[in-house]
Amino acid sequence: MTQAPVPQSAITRAWESDFMWSFRHSPVAIVSFVVAATLIFAAIFAPLIAPHTPFEPGTLNLMNGFSKPMEANEFTGETFVLGTDDQGRDVISTILYGMRISLFVGFAAVTFAMVLGVTLGLVAGYAGGWTGTIIMRIADVQLTFPGILVAMLIFGIAKGITPIHLRDQMAIWVLILAIGLSEWVQFARVVRGATLVERNKEYVQAARLNGRRPLGIMLRHILPNVLGPVLVIATISLALAIIAEATLSFLGVGAPPTQPSLGTLIRIGQGFLFSGEWWIILFPSITLLALALSVNLLGDWLRDVLNPKLR
Amino acid sequence: MLKSLLNGALALTLLGTAASAETFRWASKTDPQTMDPHAVNSAPVLGFLNNVYEGLVRRGKTMAIEGALAERWEAIGGDGWRFFLRKGVTFQDGAAFTAEDVLFSYQRASSEAADTASWFAPVSEVKIVDEFTIDFLTKAPNPIFPDSIANFMIMDKGWAEANSAVLPSKDEGNYATLNANGTGAFKLVERQPGLKTVLEPFENWWGKPEHNITRAEFTPIQNPATAVAALISGDVDMINPVPIQDAERLQQRGGVTVIQGIEARVIMLGMPHKAEMLKYTADAGKPNPFLDVRVRQAVAHAVNVEAILAKTMRGAAAPASQLVSPAMRGYSPSLEARPAYDLAKAKSLLADAGYADGFTFGLKCPNDRYLNDEAVCQAVVSMLAQIGLKAELDAMPVRNYWTELRADNYDMYLLGWSPGTFDAEHPIRFLAATPNKEKKLGSWNFGDFSNGRIDELLPMIQSEIDDGKRQEMLNESAKILQDEVAYVPLYVQPLVWGTGKNIALTQRPDNFLILRWVTVN
Repeated sequence: MTQAPVPQSAITRAWESDFMWSFRHSPVAIVSFVVAATLIFAAIFAPLIAPHTPFEPGTLNLMNGFSKPMEANEFTGETFVLGTDDQGRDVISTILYGMRISLFVGFAAVTFAMVLGVTLGLVAGYAGGWTGTIIMRIADVQLTFPGILVAMLIFGIAKGITPIHLRDQMAIWVLILAIGLSEWVQFARVVRGATLVERNKEYVQAARLNGRRPLGIMLRHILPNVLGPVLVIATISLALAIIAEATLSFLGVGAPPTQPSLGTLIRIGQGFLFSGEWWIILFPSITLLALALSVNLLGDWLRDVLNPKLR
Repeated sequence: MLKSLLNGALALTLLGTAASAETFRWASKTDPQTMDPHAVNSAPVLGFLNNVYEGLVRRGKTMAIEGALAERWEAIGGDGWRFFLRKGVTFQDGAAFTAEDVLFSYQRASSEAADTASWFAPVSEVKIVDEFTIDFLTKAPNPIFPDSIANFMIMDKGWAEANSAVLPSKDEGNYATLNANGTGAFKLVERQPGLKTVLEPFENWWGKPEHNITRAEFTPIQNPATAVAALISGDVDMINPVPIQDAERLQQRGGVTVIQGIEARVIMLGMPHKAEMLKYTADAGKPNPFLDVRVRQAVAHAVNVEAILAKTMRGAAAPASQLVSPAMRGYSPSLEARPAYDLAKAKSLLADAGYADGFTFGLKCPNDRYLNDEAVCQAVVSMLAQIGLKAELDAMPVRNYWTELRADNYDMYLLGWSPGTFDAEHPIRFLAATPNKEKKLGSWNFGDFSNGRIDELLPMIQSEIDDGKRQEMLNESAKILQDEVAYVPLYVQPLVWGTGKNIALTQRPDNFLILRWVTVN
């Protein structure tokens, strides 16, 4: 994941065509792109697509509960394509709305991790010395803990200090904070490495001789040149963040039942595994799998394309 | 050589299984919060400790009262009851059991620090007659007193004093929270709260053991699906409860027995009768709408209990109209009708009360205490939303739940009540009487329901000896509680246990697992 030392304007032109050529010739990339884009599109427009608003409690009818997929309910006669859960919520709608929360948490957490990691990485790489050492040692220490553990720790502390009546509203933001804080290290390490290389290049030295301030050099000169690998990590991190969110919610410390994400839906469905209501867990699981896998494959492909060593 | 080695190995394995066959492992959703029999008056605690501690009397397999530490007892006219204690009984630490221990336990269990104080509301004085005779004097004739103290467990005075556990401690805990020293058939050998609790037979128990257990291990398993998996794989020998949705399938597969019964427990919704303001959601700080009986009636009419029974409880529970189930003594058959499910009526009641547009509030619910408790609360949320009452659900583990309720942190809550005496007077004393610490009344009446006539009727019910008159007064109380919608009773909870095929045990309707009736084959 080292950065190609090519002048910027040349990169932009060559990049476009190369990138597109590679995309056109990679069936995996095309399929994952289509799947990911469809799912993201469906999640964004869930209120327009979903047959019901599953989390408006007043619209639910408990008698619709446990309807089998594509079969009329024995009490109400209504039919649901993917069936309903124990509360009579339409499974398609819960998935669409759940995916919204999963994706929102994923994107927000990765953005947060990226901003934090890139900033700290740039500072550590450019300033070096004690500042750099301290930042990177903190990163090293954090790397020795599994990310999910860090996230659970942060979640637990946050739950302890937020007032009870705000917990449900805060849960999503705490989740973003927790996952973001557990994933910034990757960004910081890569950016620091790239910055260390860039720092001693002629263009940076020229800028320094011109009298530009360190902040300007970092943002205007170094940052654009380290963004390639950051993009790759961000894509892979997105898949990881979605899975981390699902894991936390599955363990019951993530999204509250009133705003269920895919992980919460899987947790709810798990209770009906032995009783034969398989659709409650199966469809959210497939959706999570498709989402995480397609984003991950896209990230993989992006890494291969952007890695000069593999070209 | 090889053959003898193999034989040896085989013999070892056989020995190993023979020894472990009498280890009985069981799992339940709720860990007993404490090992102190007087600190928390809840079924998981009392049920568990009934194996370690004993009362003066106990309940048999059909819930009939029989002697335990008291061999026999008799009424002293209308003044109270005299108990003749069993001789030669020792505590698990070797100390002898005498009337001193009974007096001490009475003082401990009726102290303000105890959660069991309400049991002794009718008692005026306890007097030692001699080393093995003790009198419980009551303020008025009390025909059901011996029935009401089956869970009053006796602790050794010397042990409690030596370990500075003279008073129970509900919140901070003390020595008796983690250790136990009873006279029961089993002694506590290991206690890891929330993880594992191990009992072993007490070799000097006075009774004749009917079980064949050499070691009993209890593990709380919060996730019902995990518990079922553990039962199927044989990791545990018994689980309580079996998730209702899994009962039918489990029954059909080999290796597992599902035991079903109707528990004495009524599940109900409670509301604040005294709080001035709502405490949760956007409407926090606004006047408490539940003070108006029409709002409470609207809630009762808006909850579709039939749907909850059909879907969430899968037909395994029965609807409830009163604070006790029809199987209890003193149930009022004439009042068995629940408020009908009627949204139009509920809406018009709300409109009359001035809440035509509804309001929002916080609903508290345990998520590991009753069968499908959280799912029931979710269903209630969506049913109430249909008349414009938007509830925000906060479901939590039971270990935090009672603390929250005692601190009045709710706008509405879910409660299950199983009368320890199997009598309709019990919930009136605990849930309906105006809370009064001195008189030890209303200790679980979180909503501070208060009705002058109920407070008047309660002592009369307690001292009435004529069954017909007593029933009339119970009917009157039940009618008041229904008219005032003190609570919204929902349904009577079913009991569903699962055991391995090699286990024989007795399911008591109070949901207590009594280890001395367990055999491992």
